[in-house]
Amino acid sequence: MPADPVEQGAVTRESDGAQQSTDLTASPLHPSHRAAPGATGAYRKHPPVRSERGPGALRPVVFLAGFALLVASMAVSVRIGISDVGYADLGRVLGSRLGLSLRPLPPLVDSLIWDLRVPRVLLAAFVGATLATCGATLQAVTGNALADPYLLGVSSGASSGAVSVVVLGVGAGSLGVTGGAFAGALASFGLLMLLLRRSGLDSVRILLTGVAVGQLFMALTSLIVMASGDAETTRAVAHWLLGSMASARWEGVAICATVTAAGLFVLWSCSTALDGFAFGQDTAASLGINVRAVQNVLLMVTALLTAVAVAFVGAIGFVGLIVPHCVRFAVGPLHRSLLPFSALGGAVFLVATDAVARVAFAPREVPVGVFTALLGAPVFAVILRRRGGL
Amino acid sequence: MPKGIGIAIVLALALGVTGCSGAPRPSAGKQKANTVVRSCGQSLSVSEAPHRAVTLDQSSTETLLALGLADRMAGTSYLKTSIAPRYRTDYKKVPVLSPKTLTSEQLRAANPDLAVASFAELYGKDRVGTRKELADSGLPSYVSAVDCPHRSKPGMTPFDLLFQDYENLGRMFHAERRAQKLIDSQRKSVQRAQSVRKKIRNKPSVVWIYSVFDGAPYVAGKGGLPSEMSRLVGAENAFDDVDEQWPEVSWEAVADRDPDLIVLGDLPELGQPGDSARDKLRMLRKDPLTSKLSAVRKKRVLTVPGIEMDPSVRSVHTLGLLAEETKDRGYAR
Repeated sequence: MPADPVEQGAVTRESDGAQQSTDLTASPLHPSHRAAPGATGAYRKHPPVRSERGPGALRPVVFLAGFALLVASMAVSVRIGISDVGYADLGRVLGSRLGLSLRPLPPLVDSLIWDLRVPRVLLAAFVGATLATCGATLQAVTGNALADPYLLGVSSGASSGAVSVVVLGVGAGSLGVTGGAFAGALASFGLLMLLLRRSGLDSVRILLTGVAVGQLFMALTSLIVMASGDAETTRAVAHWLLGSMASARWEGVAICATVTAAGLFVLWSCSTALDGFAFGQDTAASLGINVRAVQNVLLMVTALLTAVAVAFVGAIGFVGLIVPHCVRFAVGPLHRSLLPFSALGGAVFLVATDAVARVAFAPREVPVGVFTALLGAPVFAVILRRRGGL
Repeated sequence: MPKGIGIAIVLALALGVTGCSGAPRPSAGKQKANTVVRSCGQSLSVSEAPHRAVTLDQSSTETLLALGLADRMAGTSYLKTSIAPRYRTDYKKVPVLSPKTLTSEQLRAANPDLAVASFAELYGKDRVGTRKELADSGLPSYVSAVDCPHRSKPGMTPFDLLFQDYENLGRMFHAERRAQKLIDSQRKSVQRAQSVRKKIRNKPSVVWIYSVFDGAPYVAGKGGLPSEMSRLVGAENAFDDVDEQWPEVSWEAVADRDPDLIVLGDLPELGQPGDSARDKLRMLRKDPLTSKLSAVRKKRVLTVPGIEMDPSVRSVHTLGLLAEETKDRGYAR
């Protein structure tokens, strides 16, 4: 019996989708827009590498160069902090881990490098990659240039979860703030999917439902904070809302590495579908893409990836919103290359920004979320100006 | 993760083993046993008195300075308000690692042999790191007994817990005599305040205002030190029905309690509106409700250093001020 209304719904949705698609063609994300500036001559000044040399010819080389840049930025970043770490010390720490018989450093200095600095830089790379890729994916799924990984309300859910653990002490021992944040993020995403279950997954619905869920959990967080009203909770909330890498440890790196690798692969394997979505859902469907199923997978994977990232470092803003756009300028709109380059760009950006956050106001440490926007916004404005449009 | 943590654990164990096997040799000559002190669920063992202690907040800084341990400190951090005048000379001898809360890197870079904190939450993962992590790197971490009441014997007052801190720290630093002297003198102050209670005629009610944030006052609830101090001098904390240390209430609620006495915490260095006692007094006089309170009209308002409202080595000072005020205002014979 339920099959019928669902079919019915699907039909009306499709007509919605048709209207939507006209809007989507107007959207700046639509590939036709990116082809257009070539005719106006804007592209002649800054010729994109891709269109001249044929697609894909230089990609592997450029990607490897990008990867080398990431490794270099991580190597530099690992040295920067409250107390500078020399490469000799770093070598001794790594060497003794590899079983070389080196004179070990004093335990606290060793702990500073191995337990704090190294995992922090690695985590920054994974989280940066995750956020940027999720941002690129959601921008395609919703056809909205303003989409970012927190669009689905995941970060608000995470703050609620984290604050509940801090205030109520719910499973504080076993779960911890990180576990609480993850549980909260999943709860908010569960609610989102529940709300979308009946109505289907057209872009505007996803956007608005995400905003609604996000607002709901924000209010919940505020309520918990107000009701408990102590300084420690307020501080915990600020931590989750701004995003900070200060609590990065090895377990976070291990979990993020696993989830990021698996999640990014899934997203990347949906590249063609994502390209299709840029033309609107009905066009995507006519290309043989099972829109609903792919959307479900994409939403689920991005939510899971974001939840893990937020649980460990809080809601670091801006990376997921702007990095995909910057990368799109460089490598074009095709997701096959956009996603991996976004991952690289996000990783480099966050590793570098976190290094700045560590030392800019030493001895105080500023949450990295403050700096992502502070450094990223001007860079993006310059790029936007030079290209004369999205 | 298994790899990283595994390596870390193996290394920690290896360090622990070598540490243990190395220890007996020097002690064989001197016959010196490790000093073991329980602190909030962990037993801290030091083979010799710490000489590079780092404090994570102002109260622990002042406690160590009161015990005359300035030359055994490698750094201080997290200054809430100005250091009490009698500790200032000593305070200047110790490097300030950070004016705000210490980060995990700063603590490790100072190469300390003991970390001392008044609040367990300062050992957060996003602060200096958990106590377990520090223990794994061979750094013992002390938490004030005041912030760990569930681990203490029931029925201990905040002052008893403070004295327990002095005793513990005295033992660790081999400064038992100075610790005992501090305990004796502070106990005398407490007894002096208590003597007021016997002479009390009609029990005054007190509202303690710690700070005002976004227009809402934070007052002393049940379980905090102000509640205990009120009890000691024979007064009554007006917000004892709220089971929280510093609940946020409204001016209306303050007016509703109509206290006999208002105690204002002075925290001018925090720099936010509502932190200095003058700001608080102005707000009390401006608010249409509280301005009509008899305590405000008759200026039965006592100003104390805000930091002394939280348990610290300075708290007996405020206790003395409260006892005096109660006597002077005629609530005690």
